[in-house]
Parts: sequence; C-alpha cells; structure tokens
Amino acid sequence: MKYIIPRIALRNLSRQKKRSFLLGGAIAFGIMIVTLINGFAGAFIQNVSENFAYLMAGHVFVQGAEKTPSGKRLSVIRDDSIIFAAVRDSGLSYEFATKTSEVSASLYFEGKRIQQTLTGLDLATNLFIRERVVLRQGSWDSIGPDSIILSEKIASRLNVQPGDRITASFQTLTGQNNIADFTLAAISIDSGIIGSVMSYVNLAYINEAIGLRSGEYMALGFMLKDLKASEAFATRLYTSMAGMGIQLFERSAKEESSTTTPFQAMIRAQRKENWEGSRYSVYTIDDIVSQAKQIVVALDGASLVILLVLFAIVMIGINNTFRMVMYERIKEIGTMRAVGVQRKEIKSLFLNEALFLALGGAVAGILLALVAMSLLSLIDFGMNTPAFMIMKNGHLSFFVPPFRAVLNIVVIAALTLLAAYFPAKAAAKMEPAVALRTAK
Amino acid sequence: MSIIEVRDVKKTYPLGKVEVHAVKGVNFSIEKGDFISIAGPSGSGKSTILNMIGLIDKPSAGEVFIEGKPTSGLSDKELTRLRHEVLGFIFQSFNLIPVLNVWENIEFPLLLGKTRVGAAEKKEWIDWLIDEVGLGDWRTHKPNELSGGQRQRVAIARALVTKPGIVLADEPTANLDSSTGEQIIELMKRINRDLNTTFIFSTHDAKIVDVADHIIRLKDGLIVENRRLNGAGSPGQVRE
Repeated sequence: MKYIIPRIALRNLSRQKKRSFLLGGAIAFGIMIVTLINGFAGAFIQNVSENFAYLMAGHVFVQGAEKTPSGKRLSVIRDDSIIFAAVRDSGLSYEFATKTSEVSASLYFEGKRIQQTLTGLDLATNLFIRERVVLRQGSWDSIGPDSIILSEKIASRLNVQPGDRITASFQTLTGQNNIADFTLAAISIDSGIIGSVMSYVNLAYINEAIGLRSGEYMALGFMLKDLKASEAFATRLYTSMAGMGIQLFERSAKEESSTTTPFQAMIRAQRKENWEGSRYSVYTIDDIVSQAKQIVVALDGASLVILLVLFAIVMIGINNTFRMVMYERIKEIGTMRAVGVQRKEIKSLFLNEALFLALGGAVAGILLALVAMSLLSLIDFGMNTPAFMIMKNGHLSFFVPPFRAVLNIVVIAALTLLAAYFPAKAAAKMEPAVALRTAK
Repeated sequence: MSIIEVRDVKKTYPLGKVEVHAVKGVNFSIEKGDFISIAGPSGSGKSTILNMIGLIDKPSAGEVFIEGKPTSGLSDKELTRLRHEVLGFIFQSFNLIPVLNVWENIEFPLLLGKTRVGAAEKKEWIDWLIDEVGLGDWRTHKPNELSGGQRQRVAIARALVTKPGIVLADEPTANLDSSTGEQIIELMKRINRDLNTTFIFSTHDAKIVDVADHIIRLKDGLIVENRRLNGAGSPGQVRE
C-alpha cells in the first residue's frame, strides 16, 4: 500500500487541471489575504512601538513618585544619580537618555479651548525629537524658552499660527491651579492619535510652571539600540535598582481584566499600594503600547474570521467538486474495490487529494502574499502621512510570524479535509458491484 | 474439491417499487483450471452471477463457496482481502487507472494488502507478464495512449499479477473488434493452459463460447445448459 494511494491522489489533481487550478486558486487567494493581514498585524506592533519610542524618546522609562505628608502622590525624580548608578552597575548600554515632565493642560487661544498633554523636554539639545517630529510650519531654529510645538490638528482647532501666544491652564505638582503663556514656534505633522494629543514644550519652562526645581523632572527615558532589548534592559535595571535598596513598584500587573491593559492595571495597582517616601516604577514602551497589542489581537481575530468565511465558501466548492469527482470516478472506485482496495483506502484516496489541493493552494497563497508584501513595502508613503505611526520609515512593513503561517495552513488543511470528508465517506461506502454497474 | 461452488443462489434487485429477480436459484461448480463460459442473452443474469462469484455482490439467498469455504458470513474487509488474494478481474471496459502507466497499473494489486513481494522478484514477474501479453514496448505508456486491445492486455496482466487461482472476465471482448477479441481469448486460453489459472468469463458471443471447455448457459436467471467440453473434468461431475 506504500505511497500508492497518495501517488494516485496527487496525479488525480492533474486530471482536471482547470478545476484543480480554480479550487487551488481560491484557497491560495484566501490564504494570501489572511497572510497579508497577519503580516501587517505582525509588523504593526513593532512599528507602533518603535514609532512611539521615537515620539516619547525612549524604549525604557523610569518614573519617580513621591508621597507628600498629606498623602498626595507626586510624580517626580529629584535626584537621578541613583538611577544612572544602577544603569552603570548593571553594565547596561543605551543610545541616550531623555528627561521629561508631563502635564495635562487646557490650551486657550481667542476664546477657543482644547485639552492637551504638554511634554516637556530639552528642545534645544534633543536632536532625536528634531529628527522624528516633522514640522509643517515654523522651524527648529525659532525655538525659544517658552516655545510650544503643536500638531496640525490641534493648531487648526485652536486656529493658531506660528508666533501666536497661547495660554495654558494646568495644576502644579501640589495641586494648585496655574497658568503659563507659550509661543507657538512650530506646527508638526499630525502623527495619529497620540501625536495629536502630545504637544512639546521646553522642560525647564514647564518644570518651573508646575513647581519642580532645576534638575528635577518626572520621567527618564532610555533609548536603546534595539527595541527588542527593552524588556531585558528594564528587568536588569529593575533588579539593579532593587539591589541598591531603592523602593520600586511591582513591574507585573496584579490585576488584569478585559477592560484594562496590563499597563493600566500596573498603574492602578500602584495607586492601591500603601507606601511612603520615594518610589520608582520601571516600564517599557511595550508596556505602554499594550493597547496596540489589542489592535493586533483584533486584526488577528479578524483575519481568522475572514479565513473562516472565505473557506466556508471554498468548502462548499470543494464539497461539491468532490461529490462530482466521486461520480466521475465511480468506475475506478468499483475497480479498485474489486481488485482489493479496502474502504478506508478509498476514503484516504479522496482525503489525500483534498490535502494536496489544500497544501498546494496554501503554499501558493503564502508565496503570493510574500510577493505582494515585497511590492507594497516598496511604496514610499513618506513621513507626512498620518499613518506613519504604523509604518516603518514611511513604508508599509510586514512580518508573518511563522507559527501564524503554519496555523493558517493547518486550518485550511483541516477545513478542506472536512469538506472532502463526506464525499470520501460516500465513495468508500459504495458497494463495488453498484459502482461498476452504475459506470456501465 | 471444486474451486467454486454456487449453491441455490438467488439475486433480487429493487427497481423502484418492484423487485427484479435477476438470478432465480442456480447451482453449479467449477473445477481448478476450468476455462468456463457463462453465456446467455442480455439480462439473463451472467454479470450478476459473475459479480457474486467475484464477491463484489452478495446473493439474496444461497451460498457461494470459494475453495470450499462459505463466503456469506464474511465482513467487507474479509471479502476484499479474499478478492485480492484469490481472484483477478477483467472488465468489459478494461477499467485501468488512468493516472498510472502500463507497468504501474499491473503493479497496483501487488501494492495492496499485507503480503510484500521483493523488488527484484516483483520486477521480474511484472516484466514477464508484460512480455507475455505482448506490451514490452508500452510499459511506460498511460492507458489513454493504448488501443482497446492493448488496454485489455494490461487488464489481463493486472488480473494475473497476484497469481490468483481464479480470473473473472465480464464480457472481455465486448468492446473489441472480432480479430482483437479472438487474440484476447487466445491469450487467456494460453495463460489458462500455462499457469492452470481458472478463467470464468461471461459472454454472449457464440464464437467465444466455443473456445470454452465448460459452458453454463443462462436464460431469465436460470441455467438452461451446463456442459463440459474437450474432456475438461468429468461429465458426471457437472452439477446443476
């Protein structure tokens, strides 16, 4: 019996070339679409993380927290020497570190009001931000101590132009209301949801406004050579800091529900904890963009649904075809049974044929998807597009996790086998005399 | 002991709401090495009897004994194994597997079942059969590249490849011209002589009936003549 049934099954596919091509083509098309979605989703998280890291100027962040005697929590790093010592002690390397402070503020201009997060960093020295934030109007040369950079959308909603004075209202660290005036130095290209809620201001200026002293700030971001090294860096830094006796918040979230991301859960857990004095939390860009991971999960889910819907249609085609094949080959079935082929081997003949069809179609589909990905990634969308957050240097990029590709092939193979199973069973059940008589 | 014994066999088919009595109770036995013709007009029950002897159809009543053993209680798996080990089939429309070439079609039954033949022995045997049926130059050709006569020669070689005791041929010359038909019958007769294989063939061709050494003639599902010729077996052993 060795290989004869698979051999016949494989050759049977070439008997009706057009039919096999159409069925295999339908499978290939479905797999191609699903692989493209998977490829997009696979690269999505990496691109978003990388672009976020650039926007936020860091892959790993250390945030300081302090409790006032009245129990109010302040976000502040008063002395960062201990953090840098921990980095040095654990032998960690990074490209550069960025000190930031953040405040949620209401911006006012000629009766219009809008809520924004003002991110304070050293605009004069942070060359990295200068590279990543693309300006539509104004220039980096016009940056002054009280400068603010707004995204296009925000500038348009406030109806401001470079040079306009904008008033910001916010709370200081200790909870007092305060206002400060900023000069709009430049308008940046809208970079998606996050870009449109982030405005950049000078660290020293915002620190003074919210009540931080010189040299103090809220968070320290480390930009690494490779995004993938983030988790290892954070873990070692955390261990090193803990070893130095620095009080730290737990890194892993203790509470997680479907409505919160692990990062949100971590923040909530930190708020619930009882502590005193100064504490630090260490987190990575991946922790922050965990919400983007939910988008990936949704995309993967959608691709699975598409896969199932497409293949529900293909399955009907396969089922009908194999029923037709059964009647076309009824004489062969009768002959094979007469010369000694067992029922299960007849079933296996049909199932092998279906399996080869599925595997051929799936492999062709993956190859087509790879070609399509290569072609799509050649298109330069530029950095001026709002979708640049999900792109890699203005190009679409794809990554198909091998496990996902294998899973797709397995799902297709299983569905095709299921579609061919009943005709195969019917063929196997056929009495040889009936098959031979029907064929006459 | 008879190689085949058919005892009180009846076969009824449902045809819509009525029942067709294709075989109405027949008795006969076949000896090892017989070259036997089951003759009769269309609808007389030849093919039905052949199918029941070939274990591809079951009698509605009665019993078919193969090599002395009753077959009615056997499962489908056992019947399939018995067909493979004891019987060879030749069909009116040749029934070759279109995706296999001449050599592979003949080899096919050897790849079934559990018995394995050594590669060298198998090659020698198949090559001998191919030469015997005169297709030495056609071994790599697919069935659609062969004439009707050539296809039937392949079918004969395939039927013989497992060295069965009995070969059943259902109207083996019906789709062939008379000259090719005669060659096929001559070939079967020669193999019957050389290998002592029992050949049972159904036909309504009078010329072919004449070559047989045992004739069973049917009419309306009943035996009307059961006769041995050319001294094959003893006339007294013919049972009806």
